[in-house]
Amino acid sequence: MTRRGAATTNLDTVEFLLQQAWQSITRNGLMALAAICNMVVAFAVLGGFVLLAWNLDHMARVQTEAAVINVEITEDAIPADVEAALNRDLRVKKTEYVRRKQAFDALADRMGYDKKALELLENPLPDSFVVWPNNPDDIPALAQDIRQIEGVNTGENGVRYGGQVTEKLLVLARGVTISALALLVLLGAATLLIVGTTIRLTIYARRREIRIMQLVGASNWFIRVPFLIEGMLQGLTGAGVAAVLLLVGYSHICQYVGENLEFIDLVYTPEALGLFGIAIVLVGIVFGAAGAMLGLRRYLSVI
Amino acid sequence: MIHLQGVTVIYPDGTAALNQVDLSIERGEFAFITGPSGSGKSTLLQLIYRELVPTEGKVLVDGQDVAKLPPWRVPLLRRKVGVVFQDFRLLPEKTVWENVGFALDVVGASRREKHRKVPIALELVSLSDKADSYPDNLSGGEQQRVCIARALVNSPAALLADEPTGNLDPDISLELTELLASIAETGTTVVMASHDKVIVDKMQRRVIGLVSGVVVRNDKEGGSYDES
Repeated sequence: MTRRGAATTNLDTVEFLLQQAWQSITRNGLMALAAICNMVVAFAVLGGFVLLAWNLDHMARVQTEAAVINVEITEDAIPADVEAALNRDLRVKKTEYVRRKQAFDALADRMGYDKKALELLENPLPDSFVVWPNNPDDIPALAQDIRQIEGVNTGENGVRYGGQVTEKLLVLARGVTISALALLVLLGAATLLIVGTTIRLTIYARRREIRIMQLVGASNWFIRVPFLIEGMLQGLTGAGVAAVLLLVGYSHICQYVGENLEFIDLVYTPEALGLFGIAIVLVGIVFGAAGAMLGLRRYLSVI
Repeated sequence: MIHLQGVTVIYPDGTAALNQVDLSIERGEFAFITGPSGSGKSTLLQLIYRELVPTEGKVLVDGQDVAKLPPWRVPLLRRKVGVVFQDFRLLPEKTVWENVGFALDVVGASRREKHRKVPIALELVSLSDKADSYPDNLSGGEQQRVCIARALVNSPAALLADEPTGNLDPDISLELTELLASIAETGTTVVMASHDKVIVDKMQRRVIGLVSGVVVRNDKEGGSYDES
């Protein structure tokens, strides 16, 4: 006994193992198809949730970046003093002084008004500060404290912010992420069981051949590899189809949203989406292999 | 080549299949294991190719205690010990050539090695002209010869035959047993379990007789079934 089975691999052996895997798939074609369809659905749902969580997170981030407090100052206020008071607060990340003319121009730009025509009107906007907080969660309390600073307009709209939307989006994104993780566990378990069962049926269909292999001295890995390849191919095909469906579907959604619902900003980075597709396929291959191992572990030894 | 020392096998239900069996079969020897159904013939063979491990005692094959082999070494033992069964166990969708070659495929042999060894094995069992036939188109005797070729193609040191003539008519059975005896003359140890009195008597070879798991005869030469 000088050689170990694992050390005798050659190209003919690889060809033989691939043939065995292909025979396994074709012999239980319908069951393999069922397993692949299950994987397509599982990975499409899972991928859909990941895309949803990704977008909600993206939206929340955009909102967070835009989460500012607009602080109007009174006409007699000294901007430098107000700015110094604002910056003394540790919750403040940075401030920007916006002169009334600047604010008026920005408003005109945003609304598409003719600036020359507007020059005839009196600018109703006061000088103001834009305040960025370190943590968007601090906005309500910070706004309350800013009202106490001397020179700040204490009127109804003197200190304004729009942080509530951000908070809701973050909660939603967190919820979707948790749901996606729970789904990953559930759909992952279902996928493992279905692939494992398919492999078990294949083992049953090929039990005579496997028995002969065991009797003539085939090593365990040699018997297992074709089933492992089968599981991985099922994972590759199922997750691959799901990835294509997801990416094509998502591209269409992005296109539709871009044309019709401009206020919604969806993530659309071809490189990131490409990586997302590859990740789904890799996870599919890993799940396929794990399912096959599960089937092999439980049923090969009892033949 | 094959040594059993104080071997006892007790099945989980408490049945004693073998009881304190001691015996030695040397390299190139041809030995019959005889006895009625349930006497422990198949159990004894299963111990040698490590399908079973003894409850007590040692089974040594080529100096190795097979019960102590780690799982990854069991396939290596089986490459040294060919097995032939009463029910042939051929793959019906493969030709004779492919069935024999399959035993080489699964041990990682190259295509060249297969093309060299399969014709030799088929020649040895006089089936070269049936290489492209499928098992279902062969007679029982021919199918069993394919099994022998498959068991021999890896050049094993021992060949175990568990009632190989059980499904064959008397003339073919004798022919097949003579084939096995001729294989033993080439240096391969052959152990054949049989309860075919005519053949055992006719062959006049070593007979190890079992009754209820106990060795009751161990005739080195010229044994016959009646004596066991």
